[in-house]
Amino acid sequence: MRRFSTSVLPTLLVAVSAAATAALAAEKKAPGKPTEPENQCIVCHGDSDLWDGDRRRLYVTIKDLAGDIHWQKGLRCQDCHGGNARAADIKEAPHAEEDKFQSLRSQPKDYAKPPEPAKVVELCGNCHANIDFMRRYSPSPRVDQLREYWTSGHGQRLKATGDPNVATCVSCHDRPHGSGLDRGKHAIRAVADLESPVYRTHVAETCASAKCHADAKLMANPAYAYHGRPLGHSQYDQWRKSVHAQALLKKGDLSAATCNNCHGNHGALPPQVGSVANACGVCHGKVADLFANTIMKHRFEKLQLPGCAQCHGEHEIVKPTVEMLGMSGGAFCAECHPKGEGEKGEFGATIAGTKAARSLRADLDHLTDAIQSAKEKVAEAERLGMPLPGPPSDEKLDLGIYLRRASDSLKNARVLIHSFKLPPVEASLAEGLEVTKQVEERAEEALQEYHARRVWLAASLAPILLVIVVLLLYIRSLPPLR
Amino acid sequence: MSPASPNEPPGPSGPWARCTAFFFERLGLDDLHALAAKKRVPIHRTALFYFLGGMALFLFAIQVITGTLLSLYYKPSPDQAFESVRAIMTEVDFGWLIRSIHSWSANLLIGVLFLHLLTTYLMRAYRRPREITWITGIVLLVVFFAFGFSGYLLPWNKLAFSATRVGTAIVGAVPLVGEQLLLLARGGDEVTGDTLARFYALHVVILPIAAFAILAVHLFLVQKHGMSIPERVAERRGGEDKVPSMPFVPHFLLRDMVGWYLALGILAVLAALYPWELGVKADPFGSTPEGTKPEWYFLFMFQTLKAVPEEVWGIRNAVFVVLFFAFVGLVVLAVPFLDRGVPRGRTRLVLNVLVAAAVVFFIVMTVWGLLPEVPEVPE
Repeated sequence: MRRFSTSVLPTLLVAVSAAATAALAAEKKAPGKPTEPENQCIVCHGDSDLWDGDRRRLYVTIKDLAGDIHWQKGLRCQDCHGGNARAADIKEAPHAEEDKFQSLRSQPKDYAKPPEPAKVVELCGNCHANIDFMRRYSPSPRVDQLREYWTSGHGQRLKATGDPNVATCVSCHDRPHGSGLDRGKHAIRAVADLESPVYRTHVAETCASAKCHADAKLMANPAYAYHGRPLGHSQYDQWRKSVHAQALLKKGDLSAATCNNCHGNHGALPPQVGSVANACGVCHGKVADLFANTIMKHRFEKLQLPGCAQCHGEHEIVKPTVEMLGMSGGAFCAECHPKGEGEKGEFGATIAGTKAARSLRADLDHLTDAIQSAKEKVAEAERLGMPLPGPPSDEKLDLGIYLRRASDSLKNARVLIHSFKLPPVEASLAEGLEVTKQVEERAEEALQEYHARRVWLAASLAPILLVIVVLLLYIRSLPPLR
Repeated sequence: MSPASPNEPPGPSGPWARCTAFFFERLGLDDLHALAAKKRVPIHRTALFYFLGGMALFLFAIQVITGTLLSLYYKPSPDQAFESVRAIMTEVDFGWLIRSIHSWSANLLIGVLFLHLLTTYLMRAYRRPREITWITGIVLLVVFFAFGFSGYLLPWNKLAFSATRVGTAIVGAVPLVGEQLLLLARGGDEVTGDTLARFYALHVVILPIAAFAILAVHLFLVQKHGMSIPERVAERRGGEDKVPSMPFVPHFLLRDMVGWYLALGILAVLAALYPWELGVKADPFGSTPEGTKPEWYFLFMFQTLKAVPEEVWGIRNAVFVVLFFAFVGLVVLAVPFLDRGVPRGRTRLVLNVLVAAAVVFFIVMTVWGLLPEVPEVPE
C-alpha cells in the first residue's frame, strides 16, 4: 500500500493536474467565453471581493454571463451600457460620458442607487423594438414588446407613478427573476431555454415569485387594485391545483394554459368580464363559439358575470365533471336557477329546464357507465386472449379503438352542453351509446366463446376416459402373469 | 433380383408382414424387439411409482409437439412477441388450445418430475450402480426449471417481464460471478429485447439439445440397469430375482398408456378450468405490477428471499439465499454418495429427516407465496 501511495499517487496527481491545466487552457481559448482580455469590465465586475452591500448588484458572474443569450449572440457590455470596455484604468474611461456610457440610474455616478425601471425598459426597447437591428438575429423578429409593455398593467403604472416595484423586462427574463432591488444578474436566457424564467413551465412561478404576485403585502396595496378589486396573491397556489397546471407541469403538455395565455405577457392585464370567454376561447374554441351564440352570454354580460369563470372558476380551474350539471348536489345550474322563487327568483328554473338538466345529467352518467362497462369487458376479453372482431361496419377495426368513438361522443356532448340546447347533446350521447352497445355485444360474444371453450374442453374428458376404460379392459383381457 | 434359393426359409406372406420385415431387416429392429420382449418390470406395492417416469416423458413429448407448433407463429422481438402470442390465441386455429396445453403441460411436467425425484429417493433407486442415473435426473430437473424460466418471459407480458427482472436479479447475487451471469442472462444491465432473444434461443435451441442429450443418457442407464427394486421388497422376497415381474410389452406399456391418458385428462381439466391467459403487454418503463410472482415451482425460493432479513451473518439476503439453495442442490446431487447403504444407519436417518424437512419447507413456502399479500397497516 505504501509503495502504491509513493509511486502511483504522485503520477496520478501529475496526470490530473496536467489534464486540468489543459482543460482550463482550452476553456480560456473557447470563443464566446466571458474571459476575453479586451473586456476590462469583467476585470472589476467579475471580481466578487469588490462588491458588497448595496453594490453587490454590480457583481456579474462569469457563469451567468456565459448563459446569457445576448453574450452568446456576440453582444458585449458596451453594446448595452456604452462606455469603453477596453479602458483598463477605471479613473480614465470605462464609465466616461464621452464614451456614451449609459447609466440606468437617475444620478449616473451614484452606483448604490438601483436602476430606474423605466430606463431598463427603454434600454431593452432600444434593440428589441428596432426591426432593423433585430433582423440580424432572426428573419421575422417580434418587435412589439415595448409597445405592448406600455399598455400593460405594469407599464401603465410605471408610466404613471415610476413605481420601482413594477415588473420590467429583467424582472421576468433575468435569472433569478425578481423586482425592485433584486433585479438583474445578466443571465437572460432565450425564451425557449429550459432554464429561462419565462420558459412555459416557469412562467407562473416567475409571475408569482416572492416579490411579485405571491407577495400578500405588496398585492394588498390598494394602489394596485384593478377596477376596484385587489389583485390578490393566491393565484399561483390556485393555478397549481388547476387542470392547466396539472397538464403543463405533470404531463408536460406545453400547450396548457399558464398566466400569459389568459393575461398576455408583455401587455399583461386581467381579462375584462366580457372578454373572459374570448380568452378561454383561444384554446377552447368550439366551446367559446357555442357559448357566444346563446342567450346565456348576453345574460352574463348584463349581470357582469365573468363568462366561463362563473362556473369553471378563475385560476383554480379543475377538471369539469358531470356533477356540475343538474339541480341538486352542488350542481352549478342551481346556483343561479334555484327551484321556485328564491333570492334570484328572476332566473328560477322552469319545470322544463329542471327536467332538461336532470335528463342531461342522467344521460351523461349513463354513457359514462356504458363506456366503462364496455372498456372492462374488452379488457377482460383481451386479457383472456380472446379474438375481438371489430364492429359490423368494419370487422378489422380494433374494438378498443372503435370504443374511443364513444368517448369522443361523450366529450362532444359535454362540449355541446355549452350551447344550452338539448337536441345536439342528446344526439351526440345517442351516437356514443350505439357504439358502446356494439362494443359490448362483441366483447360479450368473445366472453361467451371463452366459456364455451371451457365447456368443450371439459367435455373432451369423456373420450379420454373412454380410452382409459378400453385400455383397462384390454389389460384385463391379457393372459394372466406367471 | 435373383430368385430365392430353394434352401432359404420362405419369406413373410401378406403386404403388411412384408413391409414390417423390410424395415426390421434394414433398421436392425430385431435387436430392439428382442430387448422389448426381454424387458420386465417388477411388481410390488410401490410399483405405481414406475409410471411417473413414463408420464414425464409423455408430457415432454407434448411440450416438444406444442412448442414446435407455437414456434411457427411466435416472433421473438419486444415489438412483436406479445402481438404474435395474441395472434396465436386469437387468429390461429386452435392456437389458444395449443398454447394453453403447452403452458399447463410444462407445469404438470415439473410437478411430475418433483414426484419422480421424491419417489426415486423413497425407493432408494439411486443405489449403486444407479448413481449416474440419479445425477442425470437431477440435471434434467434443472434443465426443465430453465425451460420454465426462459419460457415464462416469451409472451412478453407485464407479469412475466417483472418476474424475469426479479429472477435475473437473483442470478446477479451469485458470489464472484453474479455480475457476469446477470449480464449473460439479460444481455445488458436491464431486461430488454436482447434478454428476450437470449431466452428464446435458450428455450428452443440450447435447452432442447441439452434435454435430449441428458435424457438419452438417463434412459440408456434406466435400460442398462433395469428398474430398481426397493431393498425391503427384495429382502422380503429373498433376492431381487425372486420379485415377480411383468413384461414391459404389452403389460407395462398398456398401463403406462393409462397414465398418459390420465395426464391428458388432467391437462384438459386444467386447460378448461384455467385457460392460460394472455395478460397485459410488458412496459419496460412501467412500475412493477402488484402481485408479481414467479411460476409456482420457483415460489419457494422467491418466498424464502422475501422472508429472509436484509442481512444474515453480514451477508446480503439474496446472496445468502443463493448460497443456501446452491448448497441444498449439491446435497441432493450427492445423495447417492452420502447414503452409505446401511438400511437403518444414522446417515440414512439424517437424510430422511432432511428430505422430510425439505418437502415440508417446499410446501409451506409455496403455499405462503400463493397467498395474497396483505398490505401493511401503518402504526
